[in-house]
Amino acid sequence: MSLKSERRGIHVDQSELLCKKGCGYYGNPAWQGFCSKCWREEYHKARQKQIQEDWELAERLQREEEEAYASSHSTQGAQSLTFSKFEEKKTNEKTRKVITVKKFFSASSRTGTKKVLTGKLREIQDVRTPSPSINRQVSIETDRASKEFIEFLKTYQKPGQDIYKQCKIFLEAMHQKRELSIEEQSECAQDFYQNVAEKLQIRWKVSPEKVEKAMDHIEKYVMTRLYKYVFCPETTEDEKKDLVVQKRIRALHWVTPQMLCVPVNEEIPEVSEMVVKAITGIIEMDSKRVPRDKLACITQCSKHIFNAIKITKNEPASADDFLPTFIYIVLKGNPPRLQSNIQYITRFCNPSRLMTGEDGYYFTNLCCAVAFIEKLDAQSLNLSQEDFDRYMSGQTSPRKQEPENWSPDMCLGVKQMYKNLDLLSQLNERQERIVSEAKKLEKDLIDWTDGIAKEVQDIVEKYPLEIKPKNQPLAAIDSENVENDKLPPPLQPQVYAG
Amino acid sequence: MAAAGSGAGGGGRSFSFKVVLLGEGCVGKTSLVLRYCENKFNDKHITTLQASFLTKKLNIGGKRVNLAIWDTAGQERFHALGPIYYRDSNGAILVYDVTDEDSFQKVKNWVKELRKMLGNEICLCIVGNKIDLEKERHVSVQEAETYAESVGAKHYHTSAKQNKGIEELFLDLCKRMIETAQVDEKARGNGSGQSGTARRGVQIIDDEPQAQSSGGCCSSG
Ligand SMILES: Nc1nc2c(ncn2[C@@H]2O[C@H](COP(=O)(O)OP(=O)(O)OP(=O)(O)O)[C@@H](O)[C@H]2O)c(=O)[nH]1
Ligand SMILES: [Mg+2]
Ligand SMILES: [Zn+2]
Repeated sequence: MSLKSERRGIHVDQSELLCKKGCGYYGNPAWQGFCSKCWREEYHKARQKQIQEDWELAERLQREEEEAYASSHSTQGAQSLTFSKFEEKKTNEKTRKVITVKKFFSASSRTGTKKVLTGKLREIQDVRTPSPSINRQVSIETDRASKEFIEFLKTYQKPGQDIYKQCKIFLEAMHQKRELSIEEQSECAQDFYQNVAEKLQIRWKVSPEKVEKAMDHIEKYVMTRLYKYVFCPETTEDEKKDLVVQKRIRALHWVTPQMLCVPVNEEIPEVSEMVVKAITGIIEMDSKRVPRDKLACITQCSKHIFNAIKITKNEPASADDFLPTFIYIVLKGNPPRLQSNIQYITRFCNPSRLMTGEDGYYFTNLCCAVAFIEKLDAQSLNLSQEDFDRYMSGQTSPRKQEPENWSPDMCLGVKQMYKNLDLLSQLNERQERIVSEAKKLEKDLIDWTDGIAKEVQDIVEKYPLEIKPKNQPLAAIDSENVENDKLPPPLQPQVYAG
Repeated sequence: MAAAGSGAGGGGRSFSFKVVLLGEGCVGKTSLVLRYCENKFNDKHITTLQASFLTKKLNIGGKRVNLAIWDTAGQERFHALGPIYYRDSNGAILVYDVTDEDSFQKVKNWVKELRKMLGNEICLCIVGNKIDLEKERHVSVQEAETYAESVGAKHYHTSAKQNKGIEELFLDLCKRMIETAQVDEKARGNGSGQSGTARRGVQIIDDEPQAQSSGGCCSSG
């Protein structure tokens, strides 16, 4: 029984681990699935592209603003028309983007905006580099986010433009702050969220529901852009803590649902299905970029947990049911980069969502689960210290004691079968461990070569091999010396009369 | 709910409050919120998926209140996680079972801890539940009320089973939280633009002078 339910559902295809560029090295989610080398290349390209895009968007918005102003006296029919055009454009190839944008605006905004436009264009050219060929994967996503954002802002009219402007200013400010500590950057983001929300409420008189909706879009837009700089930044201990938690969870593989008093019965197929879904949900969190999307994964996971409890107990889950189950799910799933994700959400999520919202509740429970796992001791599992130590050191596994619980009148063959099953599962476990260790070793090796390559490259970059022109011929020394002429003539040997 | 009484002169505001439920196991925390939010008690056919996070919308004198009620895990082994739960909360409901002296002692511990961590910013409610079991009472009314007063908390008596005292408890708590929020706001000199301090806890939204009067704008969200 344990054999089957143990590892259903979650399995990782080897090819998913490799660099997306296909160079053969391992990829890393931190680098959007590329290896460090390919990522650096792609990232550089993407950045150039992004700068360009930002300008195009700014330009577009500027034109819209003026257009809207110009046509504010005309009928409203025209506006709805432009919306559908915009919709249509969304699906267009990006190469055609500029043309479409031009077509889009050419109808009415040709005259008044010329001057601004040429000024802007000149600025764009200053920033742009000659060949902005781009990494599709990353840029398509940011591109889509930008388009959706703009489209969304249109429904807010004037305040929408203000929002856009503030986002730009904020992103600019964050760019300036890149060297500062992550706490200062977080502070900056939190201030930004608060100021925008307040401005919408007080200055623009936007209804609370609409403010909330706008805040979601704002968060999505800015965080899609900031993610790669502020998620698990090198200046923090986040990564180190991730590894500690991961190791800790691995060391606790022996914890059973009974020890945690988890009120779910995985022998019920629907329940075990929910458990698998919950685990998948929490693992998925790491793949999202926007804090709110990460929160949605946690919420989704929580809902599956509630379902599992509800099916088992047939009553609504209370916190005393929920938290232990959540802890169990986290232990079973060992989700990647837990601390980094928690920190990132805490630092960059819209605070009102975290404080009172439902998502905030589940997030808090995740924080509790991790805190509990970190501090977990014999007492928290109602075990004796000796048992706890023995399980931790891997000397025994609690499952081994099961045979004694069997009823004595059980048929010998069945007993033997269970014993064999147990042995098999242990064997399987060991094999898994070996495989995972081997994988880790392989990855370490690759990282190591990668690291060395990077170091070498850095050194080469730092101390470039410069071939200096050869020293000029010695004769030249004299020829340049103008003073030569003023020297007295060389001494002549004098002949004395004998 | 759309007609949130914008004409009621209360200033058409809306508040969001976080309230944590604390107390020993089996004192009736879950029963209390389920009764309040769903009007159900020990109902096996209950459709509610969970009772750990529940919300309730109220309208108090023209002020809209969104109440988020956070159940907390009461088992001893989770005690250390308390601060993670009650961080940023505006109110706390500390429940004990009137038939269980021990559960009242636990409440005292919580009060100490909450005051230490959150100061006077948090509105405390001490709730003696299960008053339908009056005959088996082990905590005297006098003692409980005196204690509550001594720590700046309000005391309530409830029965989740008979639906007694629960509406009053939550209504009273909301009024107190609104008061605290407004005092807090005044102390900040209305300059809500200030960062840092302004970010904590309550979210005050001023949505009074909307031009539309139909109320249709809310339903579209
Ligand atoms: N007689 C009576 N019983 C109650 C009352 N409130 C709750 N109970 C009962 O007390 C028991 C525990 O109630 P819960 O609501 O689960 O208590 P809890 O505080 O949530 O417990 P944990 O979730 O374990 O911390 C249940 O059997 C309820 O039926 C009440 O007002 N009167
Ligand atoms: Mg409960
Ligand atoms: Zn690569």
